[in-house]
Amino acid sequence: MATMDARTRELAFPKTRTRNIALTIGAVIVLIIVLWLLQSVGSTKLNQALALFAIWGVAAVSLNLINGTLGILSLGHHGFMLIGGYTTALLILSDESRERILTSGRSAMTEQTVALSVKGLFSTLGLNGLTTDETLWVRFLVAIIAGGLLAALAGLVVGIPSLRLRGDYLAIVTFGFGEVIRLSASTRIFAPLTNGALGFSGVPSEFGKSVWWTFGFLAVTVFVIAKLKYSSYGRAMEGIREDEIAAEAMGINLAYHKVLGFTISAFFAGLAGGLWVSWLSNARLDNFLFTLTFFFLVAISAGGTGSITGVLLGTALVVFVRQYGDPLEETYAIATWITAGGGLLLLAAFGAFMYRVFQRSRRRWHSSVFILAGAGIIAIIVGLSAPALGIFPGEFRGFGMRAIFLSVLLIIIMIFRPDGMVGRQEFSWAWVMRERRDEPTDEERKQDAWLTNKQLNNPDGAAAIAEKQADVAAHPLIETGDEPEEED
Amino acid sequence: MPMLEITKLNKSFGGLQAMTNLDLSVNEGEIVSVIGPNGAGKTTLFNLITGVYQPDNGDVRFEGQSIIGKKPNQIVDLGIARTFQNLRLFTNLTVLDNVLIPQHHKIKTTWVSSVFRTPGYLKKEREMREYAIEKLSFFGPRLMSFRLFQPVYVLSYANRRRTEMARAMATGAKLLLLDEPSAGMNPKETREITKIIRRMRDEGGYTILLVEHKMNLVGEISDRVIVLDYGQKIAEGSYKDVVNNPKVIEAYLGKRAEGEETDIQRAAAKDGRIAE
Repeated sequence: MATMDARTRELAFPKTRTRNIALTIGAVIVLIIVLWLLQSVGSTKLNQALALFAIWGVAAVSLNLINGTLGILSLGHHGFMLIGGYTTALLILSDESRERILTSGRSAMTEQTVALSVKGLFSTLGLNGLTTDETLWVRFLVAIIAGGLLAALAGLVVGIPSLRLRGDYLAIVTFGFGEVIRLSASTRIFAPLTNGALGFSGVPSEFGKSVWWTFGFLAVTVFVIAKLKYSSYGRAMEGIREDEIAAEAMGINLAYHKVLGFTISAFFAGLAGGLWVSWLSNARLDNFLFTLTFFFLVAISAGGTGSITGVLLGTALVVFVRQYGDPLEETYAIATWITAGGGLLLLAAFGAFMYRVFQRSRRRWHSSVFILAGAGIIAIIVGLSAPALGIFPGEFRGFGMRAIFLSVLLIIIMIFRPDGMVGRQEFSWAWVMRERRDEPTDEERKQDAWLTNKQLNNPDGAAAIAEKQADVAAHPLIETGDEPEEED
Repeated sequence: MPMLEITKLNKSFGGLQAMTNLDLSVNEGEIVSVIGPNGAGKTTLFNLITGVYQPDNGDVRFEGQSIIGKKPNQIVDLGIARTFQNLRLFTNLTVLDNVLIPQHHKIKTTWVSSVFRTPGYLKKEREMREYAIEKLSFFGPRLMSFRLFQPVYVLSYANRRRTEMARAMATGAKLLLLDEPSAGMNPKETREITKIIRRMRDEGGYTILLVEHKMNLVGEISDRVIVLDYGQKIAEGSYKDVVNNPKVIEAYLGKRAEGEETDIQRAAAKDGRIAE
């Protein structure tokens, strides 16, 4: 057995597991209290935004398993969500909605397909206690898990072409697959199950709009995916991301791990889809456009590819802009726009300053800070004095300003932090406690294991250096002959 | 029975015959070097053994079992691991992770038990870490302590080479194929790696097949040297025999006028250890 020095042992086998579990439990309790306060004090709008954050968080974190951990750009997440969403919707649709579909006369659904429900299953099984209105949550749970499993099956199917394709080609296949799912849902073949372009309305919304349900699902997703990422299986997936050929040469079964990643990711996407239709209270094809996947991709790149913490931050950003960006789309005087722009520039100046503080840059008062702040102050002065001076008359409607704002935000993040807000960093208690395992102790620095370790230092080493020095001395041109003569 | 036995191996890429009727065997506990000029087919040989390429015909047997048609990861399962000429480390991962990943193929627990951190999984994880550190400790304190948790991209080139060798060892393979283990290392580091390769055989019990361009390293550690040129074996034997073989000299330097001393001979004469 090899010798392992005390410090290596201490670093490689930290005795912090109990402490970390205790801290995590504490943090979860604090989060629950904060969430309880927010949802009881906050408005309906805040509650909806929180629930949407959790739902999209489930989807984005699961997409990140493919994009960030496995390193495969997948663009078909909306397809998996659609499968989960439609399954959930069909299985828990209320009896009135089913009746309406049948009597409308415009639906392609047959009596058999309309009758597909968890409720029907329970009553045939004789579980009449579970068919009441009070036990809808049991049926929802069964339906959403069924949706997740169906989506996982689809993930398995998409995972198989991923074995033969790489990079951009695979991205196009996944994108195509997502679109095929969406479009085929409206065809005559699947319309009896999906009600075609009409979709389902009246999906029970008490789950998707409930902060507890959605955050519960988010907690489960984060738990499973984070634990998977930091297990041997997750490491193998990261190895595939870093270098497929090397991973295979190190004994990693590429096919198994890729398909495993796709399947797990699709399962959680299915769950997110189920919550999403419940949040919307309807299942319609135009709620499962590619833009949905695009939002998750923005969340992943803005937050930090591969980092669950980052993805959640990015999701919060995207959901915030989506839910609270309405004022940006309204009509204001041009002077007001100028003032607001000035405010943003001031904010950017502050951001640039803080960025330098965090970077421990010597020149905190860089010219960019002054330029941004100066431009911001001028814009505010102009904007505020414009009505008095009578310049910039008229109004401007900020149509589409929300998307522009999100794009600009993304551009700024990509310029200053190309790896996303947190990069590959992950929240951990070691980080909170400032335990740096990758830095030498002062003693190790002093020892300078590189140069002074007798065991490593071959006595010939000094001779070799002397030989090299003599070589350099013999060829003075190498050292000095670097000044070209100037020619006119 | 030799550990690795290659018979009549052929491989062509389009019109280029990269490997012609190659016969080669490696016995257990041997250090065998493969040398040859650029483009001689040394790396192709490694790719054929490890399943990256499939041979056109011929047979590769490892411990009596044919490994033709097996995937690279299945060949690792059987006990052959390799390093790469142009470093293929998992650059963004830590040194420890790099040495843990090759142990993953031996894991028996399912992904579900790894998610829920069952006692069985935790025990396995602990064993994997011990094993990884054992392999890294072949290189002394260079990759120990805080280095374990540094991402590979901050390491020096020589340390990356060491990490790659440790990674190959951590697969649990019996036969290691080292593709230019000392490339990019200075003379001092080359001497260190020479000693380590010998220790890998003596203490680690590995059998080693290596490709190398540094002749002093080859001369110092090889039990046997095989010379390839244009995909054919042109010489085999002890280092001394091989470097004085006229065919080998021709392959490296071309034909020469009578009585002229070759560079290799001159180098060999300078290095008294090799040429008596």
